[in-house]
Amino acid sequence: MDLPNRPKKNRTLLNISLAAVALLIPLLAGGQEYTLLLFCIIEVYIIAVSGLDIVFGYCGQISLGHAAFYAIGAYGTAILHNTFGLPILLTMILSASLAALIGALLAYPASKLVFHFLSLSTIAFGEIVYQFLIHSPGGITKNFNGLFTQRFSIFGYVFRTNAAWYYFGLICVAVFLGAKYYLVNSKTGRAFTAIRENTHAANGMGINVRKYKVMAFATSAFYTAFAGAMYIHLASYVHPDTFTQRQSVLFLTMLLFGGSGSLLGPIFGVVSVELLIESLRAFQDYQVLIYGVLMLIVIVALPGGLYGGFRDIAILGKGFLKNHSRHRLDKGRE
Amino acid sequence: MLTTDKVTIKFGGLTAVNAVSLHIAPNKITSLIGPNGAGKTTFFNCISGVYKPNSGRVIFNEKEIQGKKPYQINEEGISRTYQIINLFRKMNVLENVVVGMHPRLKSGYLSDMFRTPAQRKEERSAFRKAHEWLEFVGLEEDALNPAASLSYGKQRLLEIVRGLASDPKLILLDEPAAGMNSKEKGELDILLKKILDLGVTILVIEHDMKLVMGVSDYIYVLSNGLLLAQGTPMEVQNNPDVITAYLGGE
Repeated sequence: MDLPNRPKKNRTLLNISLAAVALLIPLLAGGQEYTLLLFCIIEVYIIAVSGLDIVFGYCGQISLGHAAFYAIGAYGTAILHNTFGLPILLTMILSASLAALIGALLAYPASKLVFHFLSLSTIAFGEIVYQFLIHSPGGITKNFNGLFTQRFSIFGYVFRTNAAWYYFGLICVAVFLGAKYYLVNSKTGRAFTAIRENTHAANGMGINVRKYKVMAFATSAFYTAFAGAMYIHLASYVHPDTFTQRQSVLFLTMLLFGGSGSLLGPIFGVVSVELLIESLRAFQDYQVLIYGVLMLIVIVALPGGLYGGFRDIAILGKGFLKNHSRHRLDKGRE
Repeated sequence: MLTTDKVTIKFGGLTAVNAVSLHIAPNKITSLIGPNGAGKTTFFNCISGVYKPNSGRVIFNEKEIQGKKPYQINEEGISRTYQIINLFRKMNVLENVVVGMHPRLKSGYLSDMFRTPAQRKEERSAFRKAHEWLEFVGLEEDALNPAASLSYGKQRLLEIVRGLASDPKLILLDEPAAGMNSKEKGELDILLKKILDLGVTILVIEHDMKLVMGVSDYIYVLSNGLLLAQGTPMEVQNNPDVITAYLGGE
């Protein structure tokens, strides 16, 4: 018999109910295209933020330039499809792979940097990509005009409704989260976490720190870029201003608010922040202020984010029940 | 097994380790002692790759290893513990040991992401082996607790077993008894002999003289970066230079 690796958690019920809710959302939305669009965007963000979580939550390396990978994915797939006529799904994978390569090239020198030095260099990277989008050679990104895509289709199937797109997105979320789950619970994932916990000791234990930091950055870039590619095929149009510093900060806010270093944290964060921003649409000018307030809440009251908070409450609840039943047992004995 | 040849490291004007040459015999416990600030930990850092010596050679199994990176030196078969405890605090005790096995596990990025049958098999056997390692030092009860929740003495044990998990030929222990109570120190004595029985050579820095004199086969004394004396525990105890260095004198 195998001994357990970690405390046994019974998550079956939670997983089934999450899956059921996810599958039923198009029915619950009752054909309201706008509500469904919102949930499609949530799917896109879940993949983008889960990607950021790999490099930030697990490997402990901050990135304030993830909007750049998001942009590379979005523009990459559109340009490849519009100019070369490659199948859309293939161009999505190609553009995400390109982002992974660029992520690796960025991480190789940047792996020597820590904390604010790393965040500054990632901000600079984000700015470089943004500048490229608005001053591209030969106008391949159509600069400030923004870029249109053709109707989204996969293997000849044309997506006409948001409901159809929603199910495509759901499959992507399942695949990406599944791969993330496998990766973080493996030799590679343990090396990421070891680097976050104690870089010095990780090096001493035979972990090639630079190699694993590059891997984490590349994986993270692939996720976020794929999300960017999904986004452009959902909106069928992108403008460079989607990919400014503000987008990178939004990703980080969602991750921190939901809870980093976990599978469910990014989902919690994306859903709550997206719904909050949506309901506060009237105050759009104050969006950055809202991010600030959310960040403050996390720092002051919820260090583990929403997910961490729920988990603590669950543990407290279990402890209370246990003590309570023990108390009753003791009483019975008397 | 391990020979250092005039290893020297300077920090600015300070020579922290000055032309230290020593030899560590296989399957023996060698101790490195000396007053605070003598350069013992710095010397360890030179061997384990944290620092690159300014001059001198470090030869391990007839291979020069000075200037290699820590992870490369670990792959060569030298593992270590730290004077200031350096555990992966939020990972559980078991995972800390499995991280120690890192250089011996073969799975790679893609097999990890797709969880291939070979990867599953390796993971299962790695965790089984980690449980055995925890039994070896008596930490099996704490397997699923976070490393940070252990007592100081147990954290020291976890550091040792994490170092052993990579199946090293030589382990460098930096003050393993620091922070242990007298019972734990007594057990450490036995543990060191058990490690030797596994075929792992030990080089240990320690301040607890009772422990050092009891377990060491050979002792090197370092003072102000210089090798002051060497010999069996008996010889070192009666060396007037050593007595002066420790107790002061004219």
